[in-house]
Amino acid sequence: MGGKVTCTLGEVKNRADFIVYWGGNPAECHPRHFTKYTLMQKSKFLPRGRKDRTVVMVDIRETKSVKAADIFLQVRPGKDFELMTILRAMVKDQEVSDEQIAETGLTREQLTDLIARMKGARFGVMFFGMGLSMTRGKHMNSAALLTLAAEMNAFTKFVAMPMRGHGNVTGADVIMRWQTGYPFGISFNRGYPRYNPGEFSTVDVLVRGDTDCAFIIGADPGATMPQPAIDHLAKIPTIVLDPHVTHTSRLARVHITTAPAGIAAPGTGYRMDEIPMPLRPALESPYPSDEEVVRRIKEAIAAKPDWMGQQPQMLLSQI
Amino acid sequence: MEMKVIEHATCTFCGCVCDDIELHADETRIHQAKRACVLGKAWFLNHTAEHKYPDALIDGRPATVDEAIEAAADHLYNADMPLVYGMSNTTCEAQKECVEMADLLCGLVDSHTSL
Repeated sequence: MGGKVTCTLGEVKNRADFIVYWGGNPAECHPRHFTKYTLMQKSKFLPRGRKDRTVVMVDIRETKSVKAADIFLQVRPGKDFELMTILRAMVKDQEVSDEQIAETGLTREQLTDLIARMKGARFGVMFFGMGLSMTRGKHMNSAALLTLAAEMNAFTKFVAMPMRGHGNVTGADVIMRWQTGYPFGISFNRGYPRYNPGEFSTVDVLVRGDTDCAFIIGADPGATMPQPAIDHLAKIPTIVLDPHVTHTSRLARVHITTAPAGIAAPGTGYRMDEIPMPLRPALESPYPSDEEVVRRIKEAIAAKPDWMGQQPQMLLSQI
Repeated sequence: MEMKVIEHATCTFCGCVCDDIELHADETRIHQAKRACVLGKAWFLNHTAEHKYPDALIDGRPATVDEAIEAAADHLYNADMPLVYGMSNTTCEAQKECVEMADLLCGLVDSHTSL
């Protein structure tokens, strides 16, 4: 679980009587999250279903999800980290000034009430979305929220879980952790894995122009990344594997059409709580699967002469 | 027309990965996705088994998969610092191959998580 204080969605469904959504909009982005796991389900521990649960929504604006919540806390944009730090202090009865609270856009009454409810819960869970993890503070925000959840365990059972989007992005984390020990932003250029987001993360690598060939699979950076990154992708040989001809395919040197995973290609996908699910494809695609194409490219590379000693790269040229 | 019914199909559109979808499909497309949400329905109904795109493109021109695999291997092999990126809309089996390929290339590997 990568060190997170977390649980599965099955536990949330059966036990969570206090649910916080922070910077996420499940009503529009994860439409069945409410009905399958957090709000509507009845269980042995929560026999009255929705009536036994308290739902808090923390966001910078009133999204569609807010209608489903009991309490809505509108935090000032970019002040999530401050708010979490204040909560961490107030949970431990440390002093926080009125000015510091006012900065977050909330009142002391709201926070005192929230903390009383958090401590009074039997099983609390905090879901956090991209509104938290992709805005000012980024991974420091996620870390603060995970720490708050961990510290709440001095009072009651509390867990946190990221609201992952994009199909099997959780699987990518899990597979990279299993294979290399790190979840993303990995470099093998010294022959062993090293982890350093900011140095080895894609946007940074592309914007600085550090990479001289890009292999893109199951993603469309040509439609989502900042323009300098896209410009660099167009400059270097880019290879794209995708079921469609995408924006990235148009600026790539090589595009290979593959069968869409879960629809025409079998395999495994991870749910956001890191539970692997078998995929049951309904169609037979005229295209090969991602797995087959990547394996064949890998084998074609392995068949070439070893570059060590012939084409000095970073490792050898540094000695 | 004869419809194939797939029970407990898995939807990989969002992170919920619902595994209780009932799909009704013929040879080329899925006609019904029961219990799926708005996003899931769009996901299942918009993908078909038709041969809509060329098998592969090299420099914008249609090519065979074999040629494209060879071209991709050449580009990656000749690079000093190749990058393997994405891995969201694909299977764990393909992701494992990607990590192995990055290891072989002494390159970079990264996912959507870093965005």
